[in-house]
Amino acid sequence: MSATLITGARLVDPASGHDGPANIRIEDGRIAEIGDALPAGPDDEVVSARGRVVAPALVDLRAHCAEPGGSGAESLDTLMAAAASSGIGTITLSPLSGTGISRPEHIELIAARALTAPVRLAAAGLATSDGIEINEIGLMLRAGAGLVGDGGRPIADTRLIRRLLAYASGFDAWVSLSPEDPFLSAGTIAHESDMSVRMGLPVRPGVSERIGIERVAALAELTGALVLFDRVSTAEGLAAVAAARRRGLEIAASVPATHLMFNEVDMGGFDPRHRLDPPLRAESDREALITAISEGLIEAVVSDHLALPADAKANPFSDAVPGSASIEALLPALCTLYAEGRLSLLEALRPVTSGPADLLGVQQGRIAEGAPADLIVFDPQAPVVHGRDGPVSQAPSAFSGRRLHGLVLLTMVEGAIVHQAET
Amino acid sequence: MSEAGFSYAFPHRDLLGVSGLNPLDVRIIFERAERHLARNAERDKKGSSLKGLTQINLFFEASTRTLASFELAGKRLGADVVNFSAGNASIKKGESLADTAETLAAMRPDLLVVRHSSPGAAKFFSELTGVSTVNAGDGAHEHPTQALLDVFTLTRRWGEIGGRRIAIVGDILHSRVARSNVSLMNLLNAEVRLCGPATLLPADADRWGATVFHDLDAALEGCDAVMTLRIQRERMAGGLIPSEREYAALYGLTHDRLETAQPDCLVMHPGPMNRGVEITSALADDPERSTILDQVEAGVAIRMAVLELIAERSGERTEITP
Repeated sequence: MSATLITGARLVDPASGHDGPANIRIEDGRIAEIGDALPAGPDDEVVSARGRVVAPALVDLRAHCAEPGGSGAESLDTLMAAAASSGIGTITLSPLSGTGISRPEHIELIAARALTAPVRLAAAGLATSDGIEINEIGLMLRAGAGLVGDGGRPIADTRLIRRLLAYASGFDAWVSLSPEDPFLSAGTIAHESDMSVRMGLPVRPGVSERIGIERVAALAELTGALVLFDRVSTAEGLAAVAAARRRGLEIAASVPATHLMFNEVDMGGFDPRHRLDPPLRAESDREALITAISEGLIEAVVSDHLALPADAKANPFSDAVPGSASIEALLPALCTLYAEGRLSLLEALRPVTSGPADLLGVQQGRIAEGAPADLIVFDPQAPVVHGRDGPVSQAPSAFSGRRLHGLVLLTMVEGAIVHQAET
Repeated sequence: MSEAGFSYAFPHRDLLGVSGLNPLDVRIIFERAERHLARNAERDKKGSSLKGLTQINLFFEASTRTLASFELAGKRLGADVVNFSAGNASIKKGESLADTAETLAAMRPDLLVVRHSSPGAAKFFSELTGVSTVNAGDGAHEHPTQALLDVFTLTRRWGEIGGRRIAIVGDILHSRVARSNVSLMNLLNAEVRLCGPATLLPADADRWGATVFHDLDAALEGCDAVMTLRIQRERMAGGLIPSEREYAALYGLTHDRLETAQPDCLVMHPGPMNRGVEITSALADDPERSTILDQVEAGVAIRMAVLELIAERSGERTEITP
């Protein structure tokens, strides 16, 4: 079988910390060789990536579509097309994707779809039913679930969380839980600050996230479970995560890409596209999230992609459904922080490559000899206007019209080119 | 300054909140309202400045007095006034508010008056329909005509409110009236005090340009006016206050408690009142103190002024861009 050779690129691989020029030879869907001046064979396809960056294809740990089980604004096919075009090689469906991923049969269905999919599909299983009883976690993991979690609905019953964590600890699986106090966060629409209170919106205090994290962290300590705090968004929450780590707990944290780009001022005009869950926070929180990424405290930056029909946003801010179609902004959001000098490329890419890949326990998300050839070629400085050139996903997005950086030129999954920009 | 001295035209084609107004805008509204107030006391109250225009009062929340006030205001200026009282339930049945807005816009109204439980709802209608819109209350966000009529009432008594000390007492957290009044009173350089139990005051209220008190006697000290807000009975169920009795004892306005205020301290209430809870009947009905009925009367005049001014402004714009 012929090989593909990528030449002339700057190779950025957060797993190994490599950032410098290198050529890559790809054979049989795997990375065969990495080196300075690899010779091209007579039948080799050569991809010249001079002046570009080659990195592992992105791993997104949280996205929604209408499947399994439903129909709507975003099918699995359109979601995967949007992912491929934006440099994402692995999508993880949220437990609440479609009508919910709550049974091992749902995981099997997704695994079957994955066989013919252009990108890799993973799924997170819903850990509990309505926060009352535990779902078939063992069977879901055996069927291939990457992790299990509450899907974004905080579980009120502390005893059930204890049992869930104890049960899941027997499988060495990451349990993804919402970092919120269920009562302080119930019915809230905006972050608690003088600004949102003046806007007359029901508000969620930062301390809700802190209490949510401290409660679960104490139970993780008791049970020895691996806990991923899903969508941390406040400085107070980050401090609670850091404190839990200092006690030696295996705690991971993810951050939504929207919260790295926007703060509460963006929702000051009551624009329903900026109605998000968790709500957009203060600028000091956004700064703290970026700092936490540069310090390696954040394992995953997630798109939290939720494609809503237009009429879900055709209401005043507080009546609009929270969520944003953000998958196509995942890489540009991070590239923008790189272009602004806030993060190095290694820091920016780690939480969308090796960070989430390690949580899922998968081999991709790194550039190493023998690893799957899931790669992207991109220009991290290229200016883009989100949605201007016709995004693949047509749903309302908080990023619409925003000036960002980062253009994906090529996406490769298991050695196959699944997206190539017309240049 | 006489009105002819202004070389400044009222620039707003909407009134979505107090926050967009400057002191000159307020003065223009008040001068116009003063004329309407006089006219409203005459036997023939009918004007014609809005003749031929259609005003839709779109009330998604139950209201008697505000709706009646806007309806009278429009009719006294000659507008054709239609009231839509749509329960919020109709939205939950499937039609988005954007659909409602577009349907109404297709009926070609010239003025919309919107009350809705969601902050930003009036702005939403204004942006979607392009029709001149008055915010008649959007959730706990703003109720600009209420603040204007409150401050107008005080201005008529005092000449101006600058330098005066005004306390607002009660459920500040859920009150659009308090938010709009704090903005407007700050704009006109009054000293604003907010008073209530900590559960009914926003955590950052001290950053609003007001001083925060939890003790009513301290808050009332030296006040020129005090406005008390209606306490909703559902606040008891939510654990925000323990009982009506305790609230009345701690925060209810009485003649005795006004001892520390200025001797001629005025008492205001945006209505409807819970007599015996946030205010005693004797105080509410005391003609020396209470401005409550003056506020209602001023309300019609203020709303006439606002409707007329924004209609003039949007009329101009239509002529400029055919």
